Amino acid sequence: MGTPQAPPFVVVRNVTKSFGGAQALKGVSLDIVPGEVHGLVGANGAGKSTLIRILAGLVYPDGGTVAIDGKSTVIDTPHHATELGMNFIHQELAFVPGMTVLQNIMLGIPKRTRFGLVDWKAMAREVAPIAERVGITAPLGASVKGLSTAENWLINICRALVRKARLIVMDEPTASLSASESEKLFAIVRDLSASGVAVLYVSHRLDEILDLCHRVTVFRDGESVKELAGETLTRPALVEAIVGGHPPSGAPVRHAGSNGKVVLSVDGIARPPRVRGVSFDLHEGEVLGLGGLVGAGRTELVRLIYGADRADGGRITLDGKPFAPRSPRAAVRAGFGLVPEERRTEGLVLPKSIAFNVGLANLDKLVVSPLLRLISPRARANLALEAIRALAIKAQGIETPVGRLSGGNQQKVVIGRWLQRAPRVLILDEPTRGVDVGARAEIHRLIRDLAATGQAILVVSSEPDELPDVCDRVLVMAEGRIVKELSGPAVTRGAIVAASYAEGPNPPEERP
Amino acid sequence: MSDITIGSRHLSPGAKAALGVFARYGTIIGLLAMILAFSLLSPRAFPTVSNFTNVLNQASLAMIIAGGLTLAVTVGELDLSIGFAASLHGILVTGLIVHDKLPIPLAIVIVVALGAVIGLINGFIVTKMRVNSVIATLGVGTIITGCAFAYSAGVPIVSGVPEAFLQLSLGRWLFGIPNNIVIMALVLGGLWVLVERTDIGQQIQAVGGNAAAARLAGINVDRIKTLGFVISGMCAALTGILLASRLGSGTTSAADSYLLTAFAAVFLGSATLRDGEFHILGTLVGALIIAFGFNGLNIFGAPTFSQYIFQGAILIVAVGLSSLGRVLAES
Repeated sequence: MGTPQAPPFVVVRNVTKSFGGAQALKGVSLDIVPGEVHGLVGANGAGKSTLIRILAGLVYPDGGTVAIDGKSTVIDTPHHATELGMNFIHQELAFVPGMTVLQNIMLGIPKRTRFGLVDWKAMAREVAPIAERVGITAPLGASVKGLSTAENWLINICRALVRKARLIVMDEPTASLSASESEKLFAIVRDLSASGVAVLYVSHRLDEILDLCHRVTVFRDGESVKELAGETLTRPALVEAIVGGHPPSGAPVRHAGSNGKVVLSVDGIARPPRVRGVSFDLHEGEVLGLGGLVGAGRTELVRLIYGADRADGGRITLDGKPFAPRSPRAAVRAGFGLVPEERRTEGLVLPKSIAFNVGLANLDKLVVSPLLRLISPRARANLALEAIRALAIKAQGIETPVGRLSGGNQQKVVIGRWLQRAPRVLILDEPTRGVDVGARAEIHRLIRDLAATGQAILVVSSEPDELPDVCDRVLVMAEGRIVKELSGPAVTRGAIVAASYAEGPNPPEERP
Repeated sequence: MSDITIGSRHLSPGAKAALGVFARYGTIIGLLAMILAFSLLSPRAFPTVSNFTNVLNQASLAMIIAGGLTLAVTVGELDLSIGFAASLHGILVTGLIVHDKLPIPLAIVIVVALGAVIGLINGFIVTKMRVNSVIATLGVGTIITGCAFAYSAGVPIVSGVPEAFLQLSLGRWLFGIPNNIVIMALVLGGLWVLVERTDIGQQIQAVGGNAAAARLAGINVDRIKTLGFVISGMCAALTGILLASRLGSGTTSAADSYLLTAFAAVFLGSATLRDGEFHILGTLVGALIIAFGFNGLNIFGAPTFSQYIFQGAILIVAVGLSSLGRVLAES
């Protein structure tokens, strides 16, 4: 393993980066020495991915320096990053599906015979020992199609080693691996470290971090707040650094929501592996939060309730009557409304106007002649104007294409679509993601105002700060299950984060 | 992204604005410039009421089939079966009238219904069997061609076509306006109202604009896509019937070439007024450009092969303009 005396391979100093109005990195520093396993942890949105994207040459920093081997460097393309000896393995592993293992490993760096043809034999000779070292069992000539996620990771590591990687960045490597597959990966990571290759290991799973890493850097709100190593590297110290000492950002007003009548009752709904049997009640006038880490199964859960995906089991009752969510259309008719996680790809028709997008969920109300199904442009305009007024949407007019609006105003258009319908259950998935601070506060106030009128609301959020601001009650999910229920004053950022990491997420059952 | 690149060059805001105007109004400017040029070059033959009526009359069949295609592309799919289908419909309607002695209106209703059924089949294959629409409609179109040959044994039906059927296309029943133009105006007007002024039209536009968002807003995406194919199929049937009436015969591949014309019109249209969005009014402008282009080539005695070159080139220009408009709209 590397010693602190070894000259660092990568040195990051005070790097800043903002996207639009949002400051993703407010100044992070970190150095990676050869042969160390360096952990990188932090809550969602703390800036981990942004730093990785900078190292990978995908985005450029606004300020600060990145030095490789002591030389200040601007990494301008992914290709450049590879040349510098850095390789990146992401959760979504990118392969060319129809090609063989060998072809994928050598993609972009083929060897040629002296006639200019691809020299498969020479490539196989070069790759074979490395493949054996990382434990690839599939033949090099086999197609990558149908290989397990674990095998894909090994192929990616092999690919990095063939490219003479000096640093391998692994982003949530065990998210989709079984316990025994994870163990195998850990052994390889240790082997890499012993041979002098550095690993930047990004994970939410603190057990792994504690087990594997020599040093850990903690990011919080775009800053590197703590570096832990040796004796200071403990679970409580990590959780403390991730959560931070600062109090929640607003004074939450809690309503006695759970005294209201039950509107939605979910019983044992499941779609393994992401949702493994979830039950809860939602009451009139209540804002119920779903917290937990990315990948805990929250979005998948609300999609099941909304009929966007089919559940394998479980029952739902709406206002005491059984409801089978066959399609989003059925859900909308039964009285649901969804503000989806990705507003640009799932929420809006970007080239179309505000009026068009607001009208989409209200077409039945706009029809003036049932026979010809003509809609009234004036009714549509009024609807859009009401939404603009109610949500303080900033736009030139109702005919402005929503693609030209800011993130916050786009989100308000998606929310505004449902306001007029007054659905029985309004589901908001990441309502303030990528939204500026002002709009965020407005959306939070709107959620509270709606609840005050008796609206039942389900809010999914990955930002632990958000749920205490708006929710009466929070269910924390991990690995597809509810692991903790918090209500009233117990709903705090600290409690949510602690519950998200509690016990160390159970490794998923061994899968074939 | 606030800046766009064409090739590898970054564009200044001024250049971008100019390009934007060109992408939106380029087709209309092109159409007017073409009419002006032809008028100056051939002041006697070209700018006359009778020539313009003639051009419009000729173009009406293409406009109807292109109007239907507009619906299919608006829901986000391609329909390559329309040309082949129109050919089949032409033979079938003549066959039903000449051989089976069916009353003309009944024959027309049957054939239009068949067009709807073909659309249903296309829609089923695309939405339920999840076959890419290019492949699905190419396959269906080829099968249709086979059916057309089977029905007619490859022999055109030329004799015994009643005068009353010919009058469908050749007549001028309303204020001396050629029937083709009247029918075209009714069809395109109806389609315009459907797309722009009904709740179904809003759903059609939403499905094409963002199917995932449309679904989550509570729209039955599969049903709307199928509807797009059905309307496309019915318009193809109408074009096939009118063509048979105009030619006075049913011929196996008479309408095949309408496929290319319709696509060129639709894509030219999407580059008109709106940024790369398909719409009926645009399709009308696109079809006019092609019609006047052909007419001009004819008047100046250009050889037949030049029409193919013109049409192929205009298709490429049309798609280019269309995607340019979209790139600019997104930046």
